[in-house]
Amino acid sequence: MSQTQTQTLPPSGLKQWWLKWRFHFNILLILIPLGFMPRYFADASLFRGDSGLGANVVKDIQVDRWRLDLAELRDEAPRADGPAGHFKVFNAALCQTCTEGAKAIYLRIGKPRNLRAAGSIFFGSPYRMSTSLPIPPRTRPDAEIWITIEGWDGSMHQASVPLAKASPATVAWLEKQGGK
Amino acid sequence: MARQTKKSKSKLWFLVHSWLALPIWFFVLIVCFTGMLAVVSQEIVWLANPDVRASQPDDNAERLSFQQVLSALNKAEPDMAVRFISQPDGSHFALEAAVTYPDGTSPTLYVNPYTGAIQGKTPDFNFQAFTRALHGWWLVPFTNGYSWGWYLVSLLGLPMLASLVTGLVVYKKFWRGFFKPVRTQHGSRIFWGDLHRLAGVWSIWFIAVISITGTWFLIQAILGDNHVTISTEPIVPVIAREQVPQSPDGNPVPRIDLDEAARIAQEAIPGLDISFITLPATAYSHISMGGRGWYPLMFQTAEVNPYTRNVDSQFLLGDRSTLEFVTESMRPLHTGDFGGLPIKLIWFFFGLVLTLMVLSGLLIWTKRTAQATAAALKRSERPARVRRHEDTPVEAQP
Repeated sequence: MSQTQTQTLPPSGLKQWWLKWRFHFNILLILIPLGFMPRYFADASLFRGDSGLGANVVKDIQVDRWRLDLAELRDEAPRADGPAGHFKVFNAALCQTCTEGAKAIYLRIGKPRNLRAAGSIFFGSPYRMSTSLPIPPRTRPDAEIWITIEGWDGSMHQASVPLAKASPATVAWLEKQGGK
Repeated sequence: MARQTKKSKSKLWFLVHSWLALPIWFFVLIVCFTGMLAVVSQEIVWLANPDVRASQPDDNAERLSFQQVLSALNKAEPDMAVRFISQPDGSHFALEAAVTYPDGTSPTLYVNPYTGAIQGKTPDFNFQAFTRALHGWWLVPFTNGYSWGWYLVSLLGLPMLASLVTGLVVYKKFWRGFFKPVRTQHGSRIFWGDLHRLAGVWSIWFIAVISITGTWFLIQAILGDNHVTISTEPIVPVIAREQVPQSPDGNPVPRIDLDEAARIAQEAIPGLDISFITLPATAYSHISMGGRGWYPLMFQTAEVNPYTRNVDSQFLLGDRSTLEFVTESMRPLHTGDFGGLPIKLIWFFFGLVLTLMVLSGLLIWTKRTAQATAAALKRSERPARVRRHEDTPVEAQP
């Protein structure tokens, strides 16, 4: 094939260069991992907790006698998980001196009426917990997210943060959903 | 006539074989090379970093139980929360403990299995994780389902399988090639060709394993991204509210310790090997543990309720469907991490051979093509004068 081509066309420098190197252009694929390397190390550091709790940290939310920081893992819109709907990962940390007595911590959009409907439970140590919060597409952009702390004595303590403050990207996404 | 078609068919197969990896040779080469490194990455880290080694303080020292290790960790760092303890495959490796410090940093610690001493933590650059990410998904992040890098790499299973098949078709009587010596006196083209064939016949089984399991990773991603599951693994619900006691004074209700949980699980499930244990992640979570079964490619797990002392859930070898036996075996078959160091070394060696197959294939191709191109150019440069000599081939092809 190359033979006929070279016979009909005068062998210009460019042509020769192309014939010689065309199968080596895939070396450029190495640019993909090179390009993603900063992101890879940033993610590794995020998951190790070396770059803080996450994005848009709301500090020192007072829930009765506890104080808590809340952050979204990433500053981005909720992610789709097939038929289960859309989810948003939030991280939380109790203040270092007030981890005592908290049996479980929950997160929910809208105020929960009782402990059984308190929302998604936070997993992990009190210093860094995370939960995957379902975000129904019909959530109002001015909604509040409620933090519920369950005490070991069965008591229930609550506080709320505007969703717009905890995750502006989610509100932007909800506004887009509403337009449809 | 029949002979003619047979000949032209085999020529076609040969062409297909030569073209399969060529346009992406470098990509295939790096994927093979990083795969080879990933197989022994744990051992490389062991060689490079003394923190990862399980050094025995004296000959009589015995390995600590999980609870003893946990107590040692709690004593050394009272404020630190331990989430997970695991014994890597091989007693020469230190225990790994995933922990969280009060400042929120969550490293994995290397812990001496005899003394419970914290020997170090995973460095910021985790060689093992990095080589696996580079090999497995070309570092492309997972943002929505499987990363496209995963697809890019696992797609290579198909041309690799096709290379194996076409290679065997064009290599006449390949079963006689196992002990053919490599000719070194006839120039590099012959040398690389002989080496390519010799390495090829010895790696038939390995190329088949790697390409089939690699193709499985592609299928797995397609299934996963379309939310199709073939798993029979039970989804463990959180512990029911009624089973988690309240305490009027507001202090946490005591839970059973790790050794007690392990004892309960092993009593309920004879032969359960426990090489890792996860501490409850919430007040409503189980102590989960597991290890390899008699079939070393798969793990068995059990979930012990820390309040009622019940084994609430288990997933044993016998619980798997036949299909799961096949699909769950794919990953260990690909990575070679099911039989300790000997298997890993075999996988490493053949990974190296496979890398050399790609390289020698490329060298053969460039030598052949370079000669053909040079010849073609020569002809076109001097069309009038050399026409007569054109019948004499410029290059001698073996």
